[in-house]
Amino acid sequence: MENRLADFEAAGVRPVAISVDGPELSRDLARKAGYTFPILSDPDAVVIRRYHILHTAGGPDGHDIARPAEFLVDSSKIVQWTNFTEDLRVRARADEMLVAARKLR
Amino acid sequence: MPDGTQRRSNVAPWWGLLFAIVALGCNAAFFVGVPFQAAVTWLSLLFAAVALIFLVTGLKRAFRQPEVYRGKVLTVVLTVISLLPAGLSALGFVGARKLPGATEAPQVGQKLPDFTLADTSGKPVSLDQLLANSSSASPRPPSSGAQTPKAVLLIFYRGYW
Repeated sequence: MENRLADFEAAGVRPVAISVDGPELSRDLARKAGYTFPILSDPDAVVIRRYHILHTAGGPDGHDIARPAEFLVDSSKIVQWTNFTEDLRVRARADEMLVAARKLR
Repeated sequence: MPDGTQRRSNVAPWWGLLFAIVALGCNAAFFVGVPFQAAVTWLSLLFAAVALIFLVTGLKRAFRQPEVYRGKVLTVVLTVISLLPAGLSALGFVGARKLPGATEAPQVGQKLPDFTLADTSGKPVSLDQLLANSSSASPRPPSSGAQTPKAVLLIFYRGYW
């Protein structure tokens, strides 16, 4: 993801990561992994619930987390592309997301 | 023991072991990020099933046709060894798919409800803000004067632990 950031920027798309992790944990992740795109925290899964992608008790200690999901949202907040994996091991690849990003007008 | 007729070696459990290892080895694909990962998950399950067929065949040959096939003990040992990787890949398949559906989630063409969430510095950031400017969140200089992004790619993930 990070090493394709320039490609996303060129396509006019800003990637944003969201999880239930608190800001401190996300900051650690960003520092360790060298991520420079925004990482947002939804510790009480408010937005995750609003978007109906809650994985109840999916976390390691039984807390509620997000199921993996990707939304490409245009400037009018209309969803242009989505990806909801059926298998945890299979994630949207940067290549696929860039194809969707470049189709935007 | 040798009665003139050579008993055949029972190769089925060896095939079983091979397929079981390949089934488990398929999971390596998820770490290196190859394309067609969804197909790989099914391939992994298919290989585990093929392994099981070979193992059952091997056991049948060893115990029902001992006059034709050699190696009862070896067959049992190979079967036990093979069951671990085959079972792990089958369990991995089932476990990785224990995900709630996303049928209620916003679909293409629908409008996303706005949100405001804290970034890594604790500063609240809204979807509107993300769409509006090349905020301080991105330290890189914006390319070719594109100050406002055309779109935001929201990536929900399970968390880091």
